[in-house]
Amino acid sequence: MDNEGGGVGFDQFVAERLDRLLRYATAIACDKHLAQDIVQDVLIRAQNKWDRIGAMDAPYLYVKRMVTNDYLSWRRRKAAREVAVERGELAKHVPSMADPADAHAEREAMRARIAVLPRKQRAALVLRFYEDCSDAEIAQVLGCTESTVRSQLSRALQTLRAHELARSATLGVHS
Amino acid sequence: MNDLIRSAIAAEAEERVDSRTVLAELHKAKKRRKPLGLIIGVASLTAAAAAAAVIIPTAVKKTDASPATNPPATVTAQNVLLLGLDSYGFTDTIVYARFETDGSVSAVSLPRDVWTGGAGGQKINHLFQEDPAKLTDAVEKMTGTKVDHYAAVKMSELGKVADAVGGVEICLTAPAKDQFSGVDLPAGRSTVKGEQALAFLRQRYGLRNGDLDRIKRHQAFLTALAAKITKENALPVAREIGRTIHVDQGWDVLEFAQRFRGPVKIRTATLPVGPEEITSTGAGFVVDQAQAKQFVEKQFGGGAPAEPGCVS
Repeated sequence: MDNEGGGVGFDQFVAERLDRLLRYATAIACDKHLAQDIVQDVLIRAQNKWDRIGAMDAPYLYVKRMVTNDYLSWRRRKAAREVAVERGELAKHVPSMADPADAHAEREAMRARIAVLPRKQRAALVLRFYEDCSDAEIAQVLGCTESTVRSQLSRALQTLRAHELARSATLGVHS
Repeated sequence: MNDLIRSAIAAEAEERVDSRTVLAELHKAKKRRKPLGLIIGVASLTAAAAAAAVIIPTAVKKTDASPATNPPATVTAQNVLLLGLDSYGFTDTIVYARFETDGSVSAVSLPRDVWTGGAGGQKINHLFQEDPAKLTDAVEKMTGTKVDHYAAVKMSELGKVADAVGGVEICLTAPAKDQFSGVDLPAGRSTVKGEQALAFLRQRYGLRNGDLDRIKRHQAFLTALAAKITKENALPVAREIGRTIHVDQGWDVLEFAQRFRGPVKIRTATLPVGPEEITSTGAGFVVDQAQAKQFVEKQFGGGAPAEPGCVS
């Protein structure tokens, strides 16, 4: 079957991108099961209108936008809050339990702090630091302006830095 | 701090579920989508037939419709425009069909060379490309009925649709050979698919009544195609059609699909038109509105299925 405009078939798209989509969704949702639900729902919807999506210049970007919107939507809010509460509890314990010299512990502490950021800030952060997106691409995925992207990112980084400093202070470490 | 953020996010992402479990779920979801596939298949088939123009008004006998099954309360009879688009986006075939709640279909082909608004006016086959609403408005005015929905497919896809059902049987009263369409078929019964199916649907030169004869071919093809749709091939057919089908927004296809429970029977007829008239803008047909309204009302009202039989 001809795919006009060099479009990619749905099955091929899934074969090539499914794992990456799952990683992305897991990173923003901080819950692999919630991420799985979202990716499944989105792909089923995407399949129904694949003739349009497949013909686009960047189908992956579009599907990523669907995944992000789905996660940020009101119907996922409750699930996301439960994850955040759970991770928030975890975050309180990580510093005291861990040896600060241990890179693994550092990382786990950061992970817990990222997990309790507001959802949209975390999505912007993942798009920048995991998907290596430009401000313009992040704006497209989040459906907002580039200046909103920059403010979301800087607020997220401020929060993380404040936590980092507080934590270093309590542990007597200078970073 | 950036590297720490990077590695923290990567660790989080690493937790994702196995993609094979998601693939399995997607596969299950595909299977559940059958009704939708069936409806799109039926709609597209009908659109193929869209050419339908039975010039000879079939004697339509009104019979008491006996409700064989009780369809779900939400299903209502709907009037749908089934459109076959040529490569320029013009509606090469226009079939106006009424889908009853029991899944039966009465269809009226509207010849593409009909002028809307009198001789020399705009041809009906140009309206959809300008704005789908212009076509639905014109059809509503001409027939005195309400158009509920429309579905459009590219005519060029119909060869693949014929492939998907393993070929469609047609019958010719004389051999057909024409260099423009590339058709080359013997008299009598043949099973057409792929390019030959397309050529059969496309041939206009060499037919005594031009497009009106072609409309009969479209009707014969549509009826034979609809009869070949089964639960098993509905999905492949829908997949072919689904690549190019275009339906109006807000059409609840799932609700629509509920009426189909078995092979689809289609009664076809062609809207009666006046003699061909030549004007400075080309040749076309004038439609008498009062006659058109009466004809559509009668055809949609029910009657015995007309056998398309052999076509020229």
